Amino acid sequence: MSQLQARFFTENKRYVVDDVPFSIPAASEVEELSSVINQLLLAKDVDFDFLVRGQFLRTPLSFHMETEGISTVRHRSYDKTARIWSVEGKPVMTVAGHTDVVKDVAWVKREGLTSLLLTASLDQTILMWEWNSERNKVKARHCCRGHTGSVDTIATDPTGSKFCSGSWDKMLKIWSAVPSDEADEVEGPPDRPRKKQKTQQLGLTRTPIMTLSGHNEAVSSVLWCDTEEICSASWDHTIRVWDVETGGMKTTLTGNKVFNSISYSPLCRRLASGSTDRHIRLWDPRTKDGSLVLLSLSSHTGWVTAVKWAPAHEHQLVSASLDNLVKLWDTRSCKAPLYDVAAHEDKVFCVDWTESALLLSGGADNKLYTYRYSACQTDAGA
Amino acid sequence: PEEDEDLSDSEDSVYSGLEDSGSDSEEDEEDGFFNVPGDVFHAVLNHYSGFCWVFLPTRLPRFFSKDMLMCPFLVLQDIRNTVGNIPMEWYRDFPHIGYDLDGKKIYKPIRNKDELDDFLDKMENPDYWRTVHDNQTGSVIVLSDEQVELVNRLQRGQFGDINFNEYQPSVEYFSSDVMIHPVTNRPEDKRSFIPSLVEKEKVSKLVHAIKMGWIKPRRVEDNSRGTFYDLWASEDSSILSKHRMHLPAPKIPLPGHNESYNPPPEYLFTDEERALWEQQDPSDRKLPYVPMKFSSLRQVPAFPRFIHERFERCLDLYLCPRQRKMRVNVNPEDLIPKLPKPKDLQPFPTVQSLVYRGHSSLIRSISVSPSGQWLASGSDDGTVRIWEVCSSRCMKTIQVGGAVKTVTWNPNPAVCLLAVALNSVVLILSPALADRQVVSSSERLLLGDQEAEAAEDTGAVWSEAEGEELNQGIRLKVHHPKAVHQVVWHAKGDYLASVMPDNSSHLQVLIHQLSRRRSQNPFRRNKGLVQCVSFHPVRPYFFVATQRSVRIYNLVKQEMTKKLQANSKWISSMAFYPVCGSVSLTVLIVLITCHLICRHHKKAVRGVAYHRVYPLFASASDDGSVIVCHGTVYNDLLQNPLIVPVKVLRGHVMTHDLGVLDVTFHPTQPWVFSSGADNTIRLFT
Repeated sequence: MSQLQARFFTENKRYVVDDVPFSIPAASEVEELSSVINQLLLAKDVDFDFLVRGQFLRTPLSFHMETEGISTVRHRSYDKTARIWSVEGKPVMTVAGHTDVVKDVAWVKREGLTSLLLTASLDQTILMWEWNSERNKVKARHCCRGHTGSVDTIATDPTGSKFCSGSWDKMLKIWSAVPSDEADEVEGPPDRPRKKQKTQQLGLTRTPIMTLSGHNEAVSSVLWCDTEEICSASWDHTIRVWDVETGGMKTTLTGNKVFNSISYSPLCRRLASGSTDRHIRLWDPRTKDGSLVLLSLSSHTGWVTAVKWAPAHEHQLVSASLDNLVKLWDTRSCKAPLYDVAAHEDKVFCVDWTESALLLSGGADNKLYTYRYSACQTDAGA
Repeated sequence: PEEDEDLSDSEDSVYSGLEDSGSDSEEDEEDGFFNVPGDVFHAVLNHYSGFCWVFLPTRLPRFFSKDMLMCPFLVLQDIRNTVGNIPMEWYRDFPHIGYDLDGKKIYKPIRNKDELDDFLDKMENPDYWRTVHDNQTGSVIVLSDEQVELVNRLQRGQFGDINFNEYQPSVEYFSSDVMIHPVTNRPEDKRSFIPSLVEKEKVSKLVHAIKMGWIKPRRVEDNSRGTFYDLWASEDSSILSKHRMHLPAPKIPLPGHNESYNPPPEYLFTDEERALWEQQDPSDRKLPYVPMKFSSLRQVPAFPRFIHERFERCLDLYLCPRQRKMRVNVNPEDLIPKLPKPKDLQPFPTVQSLVYRGHSSLIRSISVSPSGQWLASGSDDGTVRIWEVCSSRCMKTIQVGGAVKTVTWNPNPAVCLLAVALNSVVLILSPALADRQVVSSSERLLLGDQEAEAAEDTGAVWSEAEGEELNQGIRLKVHHPKAVHQVVWHAKGDYLASVMPDNSSHLQVLIHQLSRRRSQNPFRRNKGLVQCVSFHPVRPYFFVATQRSVRIYNLVKQEMTKKLQANSKWISSMAFYPVCGSVSLTVLIVLITCHLICRHHKKAVRGVAYHRVYPLFASASDDGSVIVCHGTVYNDLLQNPLIVPVKVLRGHVMTHDLGVLDVTFHPTQPWVFSSGADNTIRLFT
């Protein structure tokens, strides 16, 4: 059996081994390497992960479902309501008010007991809700009107003062996220008294601060890269970066498939995009004429409906696909995902992280799953 | 002796043959006679008149004496002719025959002997046999006994000298044996074992010369001689091939049993056959001979007609018409035009992405809204469902109460209406799935002027929906006298045409105007069973497809523009290539595609669809597959449109022998939807 010379490095002081080359059977796998380290340390059984030249050695899947009850999660649904869930899995609140299905939700801010919540719907409106967690009541504060198609995506800016929405009518609109007690004047004659009445019930009407147009097809995903930068993905096969101040377009990244979802990581400054093929692509939004895909992650067998970077880890992202799988990726191991999460029984439509490194995924099987991802405690480099 | 000395000095003497054999001085030996260059030396014997050359072997020692060779010849007179060895007839007309040593003429004898003298001499003279007439001198010589003996010996090939013993034991001076005593006992020179200075100088000179290039190390072989070249190498190959036109001669048939000398009895002629053979003209005979039987090969006589047959064969070869059949070897695959690879023609749908489930019976018709957001489907379970394209969620289910034949979205993006054909009714639905202004504008269109009365009796009755149907979105109902199979919108969205196939009536196609709630029958006469109709997307043309042909009507001039015959048995669907301007061309494409698709599909084609933006069209068939083709149409009418089948999409399950029933493209993306008999709609991207 062939032997390999290997040295083990770690940043964790507890598991430092001597910096001498070890002779290892070439066919050994992660478990065997772990046992080698354990023997060297005369230690208890610790499972290690190994990075070989920045690439993960494959690990056995270990997934623990754990719950922690601090932060809250919200969920979009096709039953015309938005729900607020605690992470224990109990629905805390149901926000009902839209006349049509809810396409996207976003938190504006969470301060103390009252939080602001946004819901975008197919009825062409965005509703801003105020949720009092103590009394567990929601109140519609504002109804944002202006889109002429279903509002597919919303995103709040990092300061929480503005939010941006993307719609099927090819427009991006920027709205103020600060709740106020005054209604903006409504354009056009109020010729539909019935609906007007309804919206008035739901809160004060608000009109957009700015409209960004340039996409040729429906906008599928929007996010804030920065306080002054918006990134939007569209069905016209482009990702566009906009300047909020001027309202102008800064960069266009052109792909060859419809984009379903994009995500930006401020840690590694990459854009990840999921499109209507099997691949997740990573882009650099700073390149001026960059239509260059930095990396392509392929393992899904259906459309990639959602991608999300980990908030705390610069290499990890999670993706959801129509093939009922949620996959956790590490960009250092681009050939295969770290974990496949086969929990859903139908198409998975959205995926998100919480601050406490919880994974969430929602799908067409009307279920919202939460997962706890136990990140590797130690990294050993061989 | 004096003369001899002269002779030995002069070269001529050797050739003139006047060497005195009697001269025997030692000096003469040295520098005269025997000092012939080379190892061969010659002994010249003079016996009065001629020469006698004796060639001695080379290896004889040089020091043998002249006496050994010389014979004691008797010299009678010294009349020597100096003319040399020339033909004596040159002196025939002269009185003399030459010159003697002194330059005096030697005269011929005064009288020649005649025959009689000769005869008498022969009879009388006992020495006649040894008498020799010397032509050179004209004298008569009588040979002595010794001379006769010498002549005899020479004739026998013996040495002239009697005393010479040719078998004398030879002394071997040099032999292979190593002798005790060396021939010379001289010690070897020093120079024999030191390197030669001279040689060294020579070699160094040569080396220098080679270095300087004065001499070439190896002489270049002279190629001027001995090389030969192909005389016809430069000749044109076509000429050569002309020469090479070899025509093989027609082959003689191989001999059969009837040509055998002992044929089986069935090959032998019976009497009647023989009589017939004899009666026939030789050219009519089946066989040019009569088969014969012989008991053994020895009995077989010579073939009497051999020459005749050879001649006929030659005549055949000579006269037979030689024609060269020029066979063109064409690979049939070369005749097919080179199609581009499907990979280069992307984008086109390749994989199944979404399945829209919900219907409980086969789905006959699907249609995508102009915005590309919604998909409407009509099924045999009596419902029309509206789906969100990107998430495959069923947004609305509308109970219409009957098997739906056709569902079509209004192509005008300013209104949001759906036309549904079922039983004998055409329903206009307002699904209210758009901007409020669009919804309201479509509602306004439906309200329209109602005062316009039906100008002609078409049998179509308009009515408004009420109650539950109104809540579901059904706005208008157009009742037809017969079952409606198809309904199509005009591109503007105001007119729609419905088809009621009936072979016996002229009331097959109705055109309805939505805003005025009016129906009219455009055709007075029955032109065959109408399968489907279609409006041209841009131009005012109306297409009516019957089973075998497509008629094109100009709606402005209200006349028929063109009639196209299809070579398929049954036109079931029509679609338009949107880019092309020419009407005839579009339909041409349709028909070509029908033809092409028929070749690829194993069963009947149910529907065809063109993409609005991409050069793609798809066809659905009963065999459960959707074929996506890439079609390029050139503006040049002469150039055939390039149609490349790029993908066969399978996914639908065959149910009740039905596969895919309808196919349609997404308006903006290269996606194709197909509805099947397995109650599903599938999206391929």
